[in-house]
Amino acid sequence: MNKTNDLPTYHRVHSMAFYVWIHLLIAFIGMGVYALVMSLVYNMEIFEFSLKIPWATMVSNYVFLVGSSVGLCMVSSLGLVFNLERYHSIVKRCLFMALIAIIFGMVSIMLHLGHPERPAIFTMLTPNPRSAMWGMGIVYPPYILFLALCFWLLIRQELIETASASSGLKARIYRLMALEGLRPYLQRKANLDHLESRIYRMLPLEGWGLSLDAEDADIKWARIFGAMAFITGLLAYTVESTLFAHTEARAFWYGALTPVDFYLGACMCGFAWILVAKIATHKVRSGNIPIHSKRLMFEMGNILALLLSVEILFIAYKMGHGLFDPVKGKTIMLLLKGPYSPAFWGIEIFIGLVLPIVMLLYSVKKERTTGLMIASVMVLIGYFVKRYDFVTAAQVYPAIKHGLPSYLPTLMETLLIAGIIAGVFLTYTLGEMFLPLNEER
Amino acid sequence: MNEKATHISRRRFLKILAGTSAVAALGPVRHAAAQPKQYGKLVDTIRCIGCKRCMSACKRWNRLKVERDEMITDRFTELSGNNFVVVNLRTDSQNTETQIYHHWTCQHCDKPACVGACPVRAITKLPGGHVVINEKKCIGCRYCYQSCPWKVPQFDFKKRVTRKCTLCNDKFPTNYVKPACVAACPVEALIFDYKDVVLREAVRRIERRKMPSYIMGVKEAGGTGVITILPTRPQYLGFVVAPEKVVNQDLDKLRITGAGLMGASAIAGGAYTYAALTQDKNKKNDASNE
Repeated sequence: MNKTNDLPTYHRVHSMAFYVWIHLLIAFIGMGVYALVMSLVYNMEIFEFSLKIPWATMVSNYVFLVGSSVGLCMVSSLGLVFNLERYHSIVKRCLFMALIAIIFGMVSIMLHLGHPERPAIFTMLTPNPRSAMWGMGIVYPPYILFLALCFWLLIRQELIETASASSGLKARIYRLMALEGLRPYLQRKANLDHLESRIYRMLPLEGWGLSLDAEDADIKWARIFGAMAFITGLLAYTVESTLFAHTEARAFWYGALTPVDFYLGACMCGFAWILVAKIATHKVRSGNIPIHSKRLMFEMGNILALLLSVEILFIAYKMGHGLFDPVKGKTIMLLLKGPYSPAFWGIEIFIGLVLPIVMLLYSVKKERTTGLMIASVMVLIGYFVKRYDFVTAAQVYPAIKHGLPSYLPTLMETLLIAGIIAGVFLTYTLGEMFLPLNEER
Repeated sequence: MNEKATHISRRRFLKILAGTSAVAALGPVRHAAAQPKQYGKLVDTIRCIGCKRCMSACKRWNRLKVERDEMITDRFTELSGNNFVVVNLRTDSQNTETQIYHHWTCQHCDKPACVGACPVRAITKLPGGHVVINEKKCIGCRYCYQSCPWKVPQFDFKKRVTRKCTLCNDKFPTNYVKPACVAACPVEALIFDYKDVVLREAVRRIERRKMPSYIMGVKEAGGTGVITILPTRPQYLGFVVAPEKVVNQDLDKLRITGAGLMGASAIAGGAYTYAALTQDKNKKNDASNE
């Protein structure tokens, strides 16, 4: 793994666009906090537009963010676990984005729960292994831990270098992030002649600090944790998809095709997110993308186009297969011809799949990175709407008669979701400014 | 004291003594091991007059809020965090002259899907057949609502937990004879007893009436504790029709999870294959860079 030559520095960006971006994100986060405070002052009813559809935008946002995280983890695994050298330059960025996405996804679902403080206690005290939701609560924490450890190990050396090149509070913060102060303490513990010293001697202490040995140890352990993150990520997403797939009472969710649908979507999201982030960041920083990065972008563009094509075929199969079921068929008709059809045909299919395929293939042929970025943004918008339709449409039918419930989110719910997504973007922007995410040859 | 009244003969005294000794020698009578019998509730929609006294009694016992207008007889009401029982007028779509008042609440399924869905075991099925939610454990995820074929458990926005009928389980152990709704019914449209007794009563009522009827609860969702007599099939009255089998059964969950794991393995295998096939591309890129 090549070290970066660019140490992370605080960029004194004077462009108006940057300040507008930051202030816009802070404004959205503020609106999200306002919505949250209102739900605590009044009650949670301000988030629910219908008793009949208790799972709406917050759940679909959670599924979208978690899917993005697992997809990004899969993309990073190509470089980290499967050791494809041309993917090394995006590993750290993918891992950081995966970490942000999973954390904000968890924030989204915690805000949806009535008592978010209780799962941590009762999941352990009175577990129910028959429940897919219990499985999620067990598998996601290790996934987050492995992701965080893997990312930390990959940036640790640069954090120490930045600390050395800085002074005052900034140096202390970077040294704290690198846990550099812990090393002498652990070495003292390991040198003692106690029983617990054996545990400390097992730690890779020779790999602390700045040295080639340290870098090798970091990379070795990053690969191990990366592989474990890859495995637990896939496992966690399997369990999450089965949460919907087990629900026989919701025919649209039920069945073995749902996990496959989730994986395809996660892969698409992973590639789309890294394309957007990498190209946008390069354009904001310097405007020039190195030639090897460009080749990688075009390769990922081709893979994304292939995944989108497979997704179109899969949707056609799933819809066609589902039309034969009397209950599932009626839900599918809501998407094909009913109130969900503009979102389905217009955004999910056309903007989310068909148009991006054309744009991706055209951009790769003409070697235009802007086209890749725009197509990836469309894929993400299409996938977000797809998840919303997936979660809500299944609940619209069947419903007790006397009117179908409404299916548009409330204003407060929209503000909260906007706040969470703004949080994702703001955290990424700050990470781009202060953390060593770049890794170019 | 009258000596004659208290006097017994020696023979009679010896008979009593022998009898007592013989009984004592036999030992205590062993009772048959008590099997927990499941309770059931009969809802006879043909007899129901729609007075909604069951709704009032339920609200009084469970201290639920009364919403404006919901006690008006023909006003349609939904189950909610404040309505564990609702009584609604339903019309047969195949014969619009047939209308019934339907007492609707949790069906207390024999194999409840909500019990398998709850991640923290806040919902349990008690030995007596009651399916109850422990509100102190409930995390408010509403997964039970999604799993229930009839969408019964409802979220209470103020308490932030899911709530539903408990068959007045909290009346145990001191004062339990029947749930509040059953006790309040003036026309015996609601019966509460052991499930086999309730089923026999349902069949008896149908045979006596000699009119087309349907008994809901025998097969729906694998069987329910609430047995409902309807004039026709539930789908013609606007009900959600539950499948006639256990919903969310464990073997089915294993099958679907297995399919998901195979999909995950396919992803991992695909990534490995892609990496193995395109490794040489690294060397070509290096050469072209040089």
